Amino acid sequence: MDYDVLVIGGGIGGMESAIKLGDMGYRVMVVEKEPSVGGRMVLLSKVFPTLDCASCIATPKMAATAHHPNVTVVTDAEVHRVARDGDGGFHVDVHRTQRFVDLAACTGCRKCEQACTVAVPDEWNGGLVSRRAAYIAYPQAIPQKALIEHPGTSPCTDACPAGIRAHGYVSLVRSGRYEEAYQLVLDATPLVGTLGAACYAPCEAACARGDLEGPVAIRRLKGFVAERHAARDGVPNVVPAEPNGRRVAIVGSGPAGLTAAWQLARSGYGVHMFEAADRPGGFLRLAIPAYRLPADVLDRDIENVTALGVQISTGAPVHDLDALKTDGYDAVLVATGTPCSRVLGASGEHLDGVEPGLEFLRRVRDGQGPDLTGKRVVVVGGGNVAIDAARTAVRLGARRTLLAYRRCRTDMPAHGREVDDALAEGVEISCQVAPLEALGDEDGRVVALLCERMTAGEPDESGRCRPESVPGSEFEMACDVVICAIGLEPAVDAFPGVLYPAGNGTAGVDPRTLQGHPEWLFAAGDAVTGASDIAHAVGQGRRAAFMIDRWLRGEPLGSFPTLDDRRPAILRTEVLARQRAYSLREPRLPAPAPVTAPVGFARLEPSITEPEAREAAGRCLDCGVCSECGECLHVCPANAIDFGQRVEDLALEVGSIVVATGCRLFPADLKPQYGFGRYPNVLTGMQMERLLSPTRPYPSLLRPSDGAFPRRIAYVMCTGSRDESVGNPLCSKFCCMYSLKQNQLIMGVLRFAEVTVHCIDVRAVGKGYEEFFAQAKIMGARFVKGRVASIHETESRSLILRYEDIDHGTAAEAEYDLVVLAVGVQPNADVARIFKGDAIALDDWAYVDEVDEDFSPSATSIPGVFVAGAVSGPRDIPESILHAGAAAIGVAAYLEALPSRAGSRRTVGGAGLAAAAAEVPA
Amino acid sequence: MTAHLSPGPAGAERDGRRLAVYVCQCGGNIGDYVDADRVIDAVRDLPDVRVARRAMFTCSDTNQQEMVDDVEREGLDGFVVACCSPKLHECTFRGVAARAGVNPYRVTQVNIREQCSWTHTDDSAGATRKAVRLVSAGIARARLAEPLEPLEVATTPRVAVIGGGVAGMRASIGLADAGLEVCLVERTAGLGGHVNELGELFPRGVRGRSLVDRMREEIARRPAISVHTSARVVAKAGTYGNYTVTVREGDETAEVAVGQIIVATGFDAYEPTAGEFGYGSRRVVTLPQLRQRLLEAPGPLTHLGAPVRSIAYVYCVGSRGPDHAYCSRYCCSAAVHASLLVAERDPAVHQYHLYRDLRTYGRNEVLFSESRRRGSAYLRFADDDPPRVECGADAIRVTVHDLLTAGEELTIDADLLVLVTGMVPRENDELAGVLKLPVGRDGFFNEIHPKLRPVETVVDGVLLAGACQSPKSSAESVSSGMAAAAQATSVLKRGVALLNPEVAIVDPVRCDGCGECVGACPFGAIELHGTDGSRSATVVAAGCKGCGACAPACPTGAIDLQGYTDAEMRATILGLLVEVAP
Repeated sequence: MDYDVLVIGGGIGGMESAIKLGDMGYRVMVVEKEPSVGGRMVLLSKVFPTLDCASCIATPKMAATAHHPNVTVVTDAEVHRVARDGDGGFHVDVHRTQRFVDLAACTGCRKCEQACTVAVPDEWNGGLVSRRAAYIAYPQAIPQKALIEHPGTSPCTDACPAGIRAHGYVSLVRSGRYEEAYQLVLDATPLVGTLGAACYAPCEAACARGDLEGPVAIRRLKGFVAERHAARDGVPNVVPAEPNGRRVAIVGSGPAGLTAAWQLARSGYGVHMFEAADRPGGFLRLAIPAYRLPADVLDRDIENVTALGVQISTGAPVHDLDALKTDGYDAVLVATGTPCSRVLGASGEHLDGVEPGLEFLRRVRDGQGPDLTGKRVVVVGGGNVAIDAARTAVRLGARRTLLAYRRCRTDMPAHGREVDDALAEGVEISCQVAPLEALGDEDGRVVALLCERMTAGEPDESGRCRPESVPGSEFEMACDVVICAIGLEPAVDAFPGVLYPAGNGTAGVDPRTLQGHPEWLFAAGDAVTGASDIAHAVGQGRRAAFMIDRWLRGEPLGSFPTLDDRRPAILRTEVLARQRAYSLREPRLPAPAPVTAPVGFARLEPSITEPEAREAAGRCLDCGVCSECGECLHVCPANAIDFGQRVEDLALEVGSIVVATGCRLFPADLKPQYGFGRYPNVLTGMQMERLLSPTRPYPSLLRPSDGAFPRRIAYVMCTGSRDESVGNPLCSKFCCMYSLKQNQLIMGVLRFAEVTVHCIDVRAVGKGYEEFFAQAKIMGARFVKGRVASIHETESRSLILRYEDIDHGTAAEAEYDLVVLAVGVQPNADVARIFKGDAIALDDWAYVDEVDEDFSPSATSIPGVFVAGAVSGPRDIPESILHAGAAAIGVAAYLEALPSRAGSRRTVGGAGLAAAAAEVPA
Repeated sequence: MTAHLSPGPAGAERDGRRLAVYVCQCGGNIGDYVDADRVIDAVRDLPDVRVARRAMFTCSDTNQQEMVDDVEREGLDGFVVACCSPKLHECTFRGVAARAGVNPYRVTQVNIREQCSWTHTDDSAGATRKAVRLVSAGIARARLAEPLEPLEVATTPRVAVIGGGVAGMRASIGLADAGLEVCLVERTAGLGGHVNELGELFPRGVRGRSLVDRMREEIARRPAISVHTSARVVAKAGTYGNYTVTVREGDETAEVAVGQIIVATGFDAYEPTAGEFGYGSRRVVTLPQLRQRLLEAPGPLTHLGAPVRSIAYVYCVGSRGPDHAYCSRYCCSAAVHASLLVAERDPAVHQYHLYRDLRTYGRNEVLFSESRRRGSAYLRFADDDPPRVECGADAIRVTVHDLLTAGEELTIDADLLVLVTGMVPRENDELAGVLKLPVGRDGFFNEIHPKLRPVETVVDGVLLAGACQSPKSSAESVSSGMAAAAQATSVLKRGVALLNPEVAIVDPVRCDGCGECVGACPFGAIELHGTDGSRSATVVAAGCKGCGACAPACPTGAIDLQGYTDAEMRATILGLLVEVAP
C-alpha cells in the first residue's frame, strides 16, 4: 500500500483530516487540483465570528499540511478513478497536470510573470483584476512556485503549417515588443515579410475571434513587425552557432529551401544553395504576382539568410546530386518545388495564345508580360495560380477576364479572399464549365475555347462532387488568350531514379523524416508534397533542417520528441464560452478598397501603423492562454520553464479515502435580474471578500467601475439559495454570517459607509453567531426584510434595487453605489464520477450522502470512503473542521480493522516527532 | 534613523551569535501602518545581526525557504521574526528552524501586528517607531537565547470521556476503534442523555432511542471501553499525557490513568420562568414536552383529554434575549420538524408558528418548505414586540403583530401553546472546578479557537465534545464527539508527547530549600527533596507550564525560566529603550 489514506481536496477540510491522520501516524497523500493547498478559505478576508485574519488561520494549516512528515501533497492533480481492491483498500489513478514549470528548479522569483505577455482575469481575485498566464496563484500559495496556464494550443498556432507561434507574436505585438515578435517568427523562418504579405493565413481561418466580428489580422501583424524590423535594423540580429565544419547543399531557393538554409546556417552548418533561375526565391519571385508580394519584401527576407553566410548560386541548375556529395557536401536537400504545369490534355494546346499559367506569371514577373489591352482572356482552373493569373491579366489590360472552372465555386481550391478580390477587380467566374478544345484560326491563333457544361456528381475522394459532363451542352467561348492553370507538378524526371523512383510524382523520401536513399539525400517542400503554399513549404523546410541536423549529429530519426510537439488545440467554442458576452470591435484592419480593373502591380495592402497593429493585436482572445511567446524562457534565471511537460499519471494503492472536494459557489449570473456580469458594481460575496482582504486587488475598498469609495452598499441575501427558481431549495448556511462579517469590515474600512442588508431571515446559528449579528446591528448595519426583485444600473453606474419591505408591507426602490450578492453554495457532484464499480451515493440535492449521518457522520455509501467539509452539504469553516475530525477518526477505525493491516500495523512515533511543529504547545 | 543598544549585563557580552531578522508586512495588516524598510534600516547594524530583510508574508512557503537558505549561506544560529502573535506562528517558525538545523528555541517571534500595527492604525510613524523598539528588544533577547530540547514524555493510551450522551458514546467508540482504551463516566444511571428521550430525529427520521440503543450495543462489543454510570469525576491530577482522574461511582472511588480527557456533559433544556408566555398554564408546554408527548402517544395529538385542533408555537423562548443572548441553533428546525409530525398524525390541525428569524439552516430548510406546504402558518414578530398570551380555560389566546402582514394585529385561539425553548449550559460547577474548565460569555465551555483548535481547551489534555460547548443537534454532537476522539487519538497514538522545554529550572547551589516556590506554583509542579539542611527544590518539568510565578518568589534568585531568563528579560527591557529617531 502506497499510502494509508488518500485525501482528495486540500481545502480546510482536507487539510484538517490530513494533519490529524498524519499526527496519528498514518501515511497520507493529499491530492489538490489547484496549484496550492488552502482551498477557498485562504482567499477570504477575515473569518466570523472571531474576525481573525483568514490567511493567519489558514496558512499555519497549509504549512502544517505541506511540511508534515507523514503527509505528501500533490498539487495540480485530480483523482481520475477510484476502484476497490480485494483487501478493503482502493486503486486510485491520479492525473497530475503540467505546470510547465519545473517545481524543483523554480525559485518563485516571478520574473516569468513580469515578462509574460498575456493577461487574463485573476480567478484568485474574483476576476476583479488581471494576472499573467505565467503566475504564482496568490501570495500565500504553497508551493510558492510559478505555473503557466496553457490548457491547449491556440487555434492560430495550431493551424500554422509553418510551425510559427502565431499567438505568440500577436501577444508580443500587443505588448509593444515588436522586435521580439519579429524574432519569434524568425525563429521558424527567415521569410517574415514574405509570409506577412502573401501567406494565405490559415491562422486567421482558425481564429476564435472569427466567430465574432472577424479574425485577428494575424498575417498583417507579421508584415508590420517585418517592416518595422527592416526600418530599424535590417540585419537579423541572430548570432549563429560556431561553424561546425559540416556542409549542406540545398537545391532550390524557394520557401522550403530558404527556410532550411536559415535553420541549418543558424546551427553552424555551411550552407550552399543552388538556384536554376537567375535570382533566388523560387515561386516567391516567379509565380506570386508583385501586387501580393513585392520584390523588396522578398529581398529583405533573403538577406536574413545570406547575412548568416549562406551562399546562393543562381543560374546554377543541378542535375547530378551524387556530384554534390562528391564535392564534399555532407547532406543534400532537394527543394525544387513543382516547376511543371499540368497539361490540359485537350487539343489545341499548341495554339498561339494558349499558355500555362505558371509561364504566364513568370513572364510577367520577369517584365516580359504580354500586353493584353482589349483582349479577351479565359483562365482555366480554380486554384491560386488561376486566380493570380486572372488578376494579373486584368492588370495587363484585358478587356474581359473569365475564369472557367469545372466544379462549383465552393469547391475552388483558391483562397476565398483571393477569389473575392478577383471578382471585385472584374474577373468573371464561370463555374461548372470544362474546356474540351482550343479552337484556332488559320494563323494558329486561338479564337475560342470549346467547353461543355458540368454537373455535380457523386463525391470523390477529396470530398468534393465529381464533375460530370452534361451531354450536349457544348458551347464556344470566344477568346484571344487561354491560360491553363489546372495544376502544378514536380519535375519528376529531374533526378532520375533518385528522388522519384516510381516516376509518378511521389517523392521517394520518408514523409516524416524527409530522408531518401541514399541517406544523405533529403527532400522537402512541394517537391515532396505536391503543390501547396508558402506556409506549408516553410514547415517542410524547418522539418528538413531539423532532420538533417539530427542525422548529421548521429541522432536517430525514429523515435524522439517530434518537431513542434504541441498539445491539442483548444476548441473555439470553449474559448468563447469563457465569458458571457463580447463587445464587438471594428471588424478588421481597413482593407484596401478593391479597384475595378486595376493597372500595374503595386502592392495592394497598405502598411499598417503602430496604433493599428496594437489595436488589431488587442483583439486577440488568448485562446490557449499562454501564447508561447517564449519571453519567460528568456528571463527565467533557473531554467525552470519546461513546455515539454505533459500530464503525469500516478497509480496508487491506498487503504482509505477522504473526499474533501468542497462545494461550488452559486454562479450569480444565473439570476439575470440581478445583473451580475453586466453591471460592474454588482459583486458576489466572494469578490467582496477579496476587496476586504489584506491581499486585496485594489488599494482600498473601491467600486470596480470608477474606483470611487462606495457610500451606499446593499447586500442581497439568499442569492441562489432558498430559491426554487434556480433549483436550490436549501439554505446555504454561511452566507448570512459572511455578510454580517463583511458588513462590519466595510464599516471599519469606510467610516461613512451605509450598509443595508436585504434579507429573509438572518440565520446566525452557531457559537457566538447571534452575538456577532447583534454587533453588526450595533455598528449600524440596517436590515430590510424581503426579497430583491431586480437591479438596474443608472447612467452613473449606481444601482437601483427594487425590493419588498415586509416590515412596512411595501415594495420600494433604493439606489446604491455597490451591491453585493450573498451567493450560496451548490453541490460539487463531480466527485461521483471518479468512483468506478461501487457508486458513491448522493442525496436528493447531489451532495454526497452521509448514509449513516446519525451514527457515523462523514461515512459514505462506500465502506472506507469518508467525506469532510462542504462536499456533503453546506458547512461553514468550524463545522467543516469538526467534520474533518470526524472523518479522521472514521478513517482510523476503518484502517485499524483492515485485515491487510493486521501484520503491518505501524508503530508510531519516532522520526516524525523530530519536527518541532509536532510539539505540544504549552 | 539610528538605534543603539547599550551593552547588556554580563551575559550579553558574548559574541559569535549569528542572527537573521525578518520583518513581515502581513499583506497590508502590518505593511499598511508600519514602514518595514525603516525598521530594517534601524536594526540591521545591531550586534550579531547578519541578515535583515522584509517579507510580504514571513509565514509563506517562499519566505520559509529563504530562511532555510539564509541559514546555509550565512551560518545563522537564530532568527528574530517580527510579525504576528506567537500564538499563531511560533510553531511555524520553530518548524522552519528545525528544518534549517537551527535550534527551534533560538527563534524569537516579535509581535508587531496585534501589539503594534493593529493597535496604532491612526499613527503610522508612531507604529513604526514602536516596531523598531520591539524588534530591537527581540534581537537583544535572541542574542542570549540558549538551545533547548523538547521534553519527551511517554503518554497513557487511555481516554476519560465524561458524559454518556451521544457525543461521549460516539467518541468512546471512535477511540476504541482507533486502538485506545476508554473510561466512560456518566452521571446518571444509564447512557443516552437527551437523545434517549427523543423520537424521530430530523432530518433522517432515525429514532433517538434506537440510536442510543445502537451505541450502547457497540460499546458493549468493545472491551476497551469501561462504562461507569452514576459516576462522577471528582479529581484530576498529573501532567501532560499522563493524568489521573478520580472517578466516584456510588460509594467507591477509583483512580484511572488517562492520557486525555473528553468533556461531553451536554446541556440543559431551557425551563421557562413561571408566567413566561403563560408557562405554568395547563395549555402551555415546551418543545421538549411536546416531543415527549409525540413519542409516548401514537395517533393524533390530544391534550387534557381532547383532540388538539390548533397549536401555536412561540419561537426563541429563552434564546436571543437578555438572559441568553445566543441562538440555540437547533430549536427552529426541531419545532418545524415536530409540527410536521403533528400534521402527519392529523393533517387537520391548525398550526401557527410565531417566530423572529426562522433558522432552518442548510438542509433543514426543506422541513420549513414542507411544513408550509402542509398548511402551517408562519407569523413573524419583531424582536421588541413579542406575542401576548392570555390563558383561558378552553383555549389559549395569542395576540401578535405579524410583520408578514404589515404589522397587522392577529389573534389566535389555540388548544395548545408550544414554547420553542432552547438549550442552556448545564449546571456543572463541580466538574468545571475539578478540570478548571474555561467558560465562555454564553456559559458554555470554551474551546481555544473555533478554527485552529476547535475541540481543545486551554487546559492541557482536556477536550470538548457535543453541546457542552455550544448548542448542537444530535448529529452535530456526534460529529464533534468524533472530532474530539480524533484529536485525542492524534496525541496518544504516538505513544510519546513532546513538551515545551520553556520551564523553570532551579540552581541547586543557590537554592536553600526555603519552599517559597512550592507555594507560588499554581500547578503543583515544584517538589522539595532532601532533609533539613540539604533541602532543595526540584521542578517537575512535565507539570510546569512556564508561567514564571516561582521565579520572583525565590529569595535567593535560584530559579530561572528557560527561554525567559532574567538575563534575557533584562536585555529585552534595555532593547525597548533604544533611541529611535522620530
